[in-house]
Amino acid sequence: MRTSRNVERRTILKVAGASAATLGLAATTGCGGDSGSGDGTVTLRYAWWGGEPRTIAIKKTIALFEKKYPKIKIKPEFTDYEAFWEKFQTQASGGNPPDVFQNAVGFLRKYDKRGVLMDLKTQADAGNLSLENFRNGVLANGQVDGKQIGIPVGANTLALVIDVKAFEKAGVEAKMGWTWDEYFDALQTIQDKLKIAGDTGYFSIMYLYDLYLRQNGKAFFTDTDLGFTQDDLTQWWEDGYKRVRSGLVADPKKVEQVKPKSALSAGLAASEFTWDNFSIRYEGEGESDYGLAPIPTTDGKQTGQYLGSLMLSAFSGTKHPKEVAQFIDFMVHDPEVGKIMGYDRGILATTEQYDAFTPTDDNNKGVKAYEEEVAKAGVLGKITPHPSGADVIEAAFLRIGGEVAQGKTKPADAAKALFSEAKAAFAG
Amino acid sequence: MTLVKEAPVRPAGKRSAAPAAGRRGRRRENLAGYLFMSPWIAGFLLLTAGPMIASLYYAFTRYNLFTPPEWVGFDNFTTMFQDPRWQKSVEVTLKYVVVATPLKLLLALGVALLLAQKRRGQGLYRAAFYMPSLIGASVSVGFVWRALFSDDAIVDRTQKIFGLDVGGWIGNPDYVLYSLVALSIWQFGAPMVIFLAGLKQVPRELYEAAEVDGAGPLRRFWNIALPVISPVLFFNVLLESIHAFQVFGSAYVVSDSRCGPADATLVYTCYLYQKGFKEAQMGFASAMAWTLVIAVALVTAVLFWSQKKWVHYEEAAK
Repeated sequence: MRTSRNVERRTILKVAGASAATLGLAATTGCGGDSGSGDGTVTLRYAWWGGEPRTIAIKKTIALFEKKYPKIKIKPEFTDYEAFWEKFQTQASGGNPPDVFQNAVGFLRKYDKRGVLMDLKTQADAGNLSLENFRNGVLANGQVDGKQIGIPVGANTLALVIDVKAFEKAGVEAKMGWTWDEYFDALQTIQDKLKIAGDTGYFSIMYLYDLYLRQNGKAFFTDTDLGFTQDDLTQWWEDGYKRVRSGLVADPKKVEQVKPKSALSAGLAASEFTWDNFSIRYEGEGESDYGLAPIPTTDGKQTGQYLGSLMLSAFSGTKHPKEVAQFIDFMVHDPEVGKIMGYDRGILATTEQYDAFTPTDDNNKGVKAYEEEVAKAGVLGKITPHPSGADVIEAAFLRIGGEVAQGKTKPADAAKALFSEAKAAFAG
Repeated sequence: MTLVKEAPVRPAGKRSAAPAAGRRGRRRENLAGYLFMSPWIAGFLLLTAGPMIASLYYAFTRYNLFTPPEWVGFDNFTTMFQDPRWQKSVEVTLKYVVVATPLKLLLALGVALLLAQKRRGQGLYRAAFYMPSLIGASVSVGFVWRALFSDDAIVDRTQKIFGLDVGGWIGNPDYVLYSLVALSIWQFGAPMVIFLAGLKQVPRELYEAAEVDGAGPLRRFWNIALPVISPVLFFNVLLESIHAFQVFGSAYVVSDSRCGPADATLVYTCYLYQKGFKEAQMGFASAMAWTLVIAVALVTAVLFWSQKKWVHYEEAAK
């Protein structure tokens, strides 16, 4: 009995040893993982956020790129917006972010400060990437302290997306240069005639409040701080809450429950302030027709608008800076890519791509016409990269604005809370 | 590893003869034991103990994941206690624990009492009631819950029949937490199985004797079953309260990753997650984690202390 047990144990030990050795072997091969291979092929990781249509389109553009550059392989990574930045933060802190990734103005300074972003000017100087032919000076959106850390792929402006049928039915017309008072009168008319709210909850959108502040000679952010006072914000939220109570703004309880659908496409309200390229999304989501209308103004002239954009950025520590630059160059300049992407990420940023894509459907046509009209009106201002912590403040603004709407926090307390959270975010 | 491989193997007969050899044999046996345990030990050290020690250190630092942690002493803790959102998260969590745990245990005990009686298809019933516990933690159930409790969904419509027009629980800060409570109660299977096992331990003679003495079912439960299963009840109370303190997945999914509206489902772990992974304040998040550990330890200690008063062990009865 004892002998047999002994033998058994020895056998088992051997097996265990062998499997441990195999594991060890696997670990050594695993560790040497490099994105290059023997035949000179390199693999780049490319990450973005967005819905399914964007992913399908981007995958097509990747295939195109790999055909043209057979020595470069692209490994795609994609999630929705929230998950994207959580994942990115963890990857970047571990020194393992994707080589190329989608970026936005709220994150530039944050990750520049942490040394994650490559200055693409050096690659442009080396001839691997062209910084020419960007429309309307949009290239400046990716610049921080003289460095080019983002290359715009699209440009968009904040707009008022409206339910066209509802506006027509109520006999309300949204015209260029209209004032806030006229806008709120329009909401009243819609409520009186159609018995629905006019707006989905304008007062918790940070970017809209930014426009309102710009119309009044201020801005949401300075280079390092908030550009408005606690009293300003208290006033903004008090007015907002008043309009929720009177039914001009959709019931926040209902807005919450239709998510991830927008309250506009769900038919809870007749208009919503958001980026103009979202109207394309709503067309697919909702049952009405959606169009773009001008931003209300304070003085009948200045809308405070500017061109925002989605960009491509590169990891400063990538092992293949040249290939990264070639990839970005292809993605922002190649006309075929422009044709595939359309206005999914805003109006195409370079002339090559802008000229190559001719919108055929009403929605894309509408976005194009809107952008051209805004540009022609000469209302576009300059956007400055937001200070580090802006992303956290945007989330706080949305959340605290929601608390005001639900009647859970008084506007004055809410403004105080935002300022205190902003202070912590800037310090972080 | 080589050490073990190369160790000479003695014939079994010889080893049993000499006590020294026996000791060596035992040592070898121990070594083999440790070897088999080594994956677990390595896992524990690398994945549990290591991170715990690291997080204890981070709790006293300001750490944004990118720049090296900077020692700040008790700053994180003082900021935390003054932070209104932290206070809110404590309030929400306590409310959840206090409401969800007793309701879940009551239901578990009630159903266990019903299922303890012999009847046809008993196994099927037990499996059916246990099922939600198996799938309850999944993200998909969270989504289903969101759909059930939304505006104009089944719960809302049913309520309207009874004249209660709330308009969906998910968007209402006053009700949304109770949808999470409902989700927790729905997964009463695990404590129910434990109650069932406990109820099987109740000696039949005691019931019969009580019946002869004219005790009704309620009295039999109160005076016989409950004292006998009190250790099981204690175990369930302990386990379920600890679970409830750690609730995360359901809050995160049901309220669309923001733990709202208006922070109404901002349970402790959800705020911890937001601080750590959305705002990159790992020091603060670590301080929160350790505060939770201490709080749960305290609650456990109080429960253990209280058991002297209401838990009856057989030894004590003798």
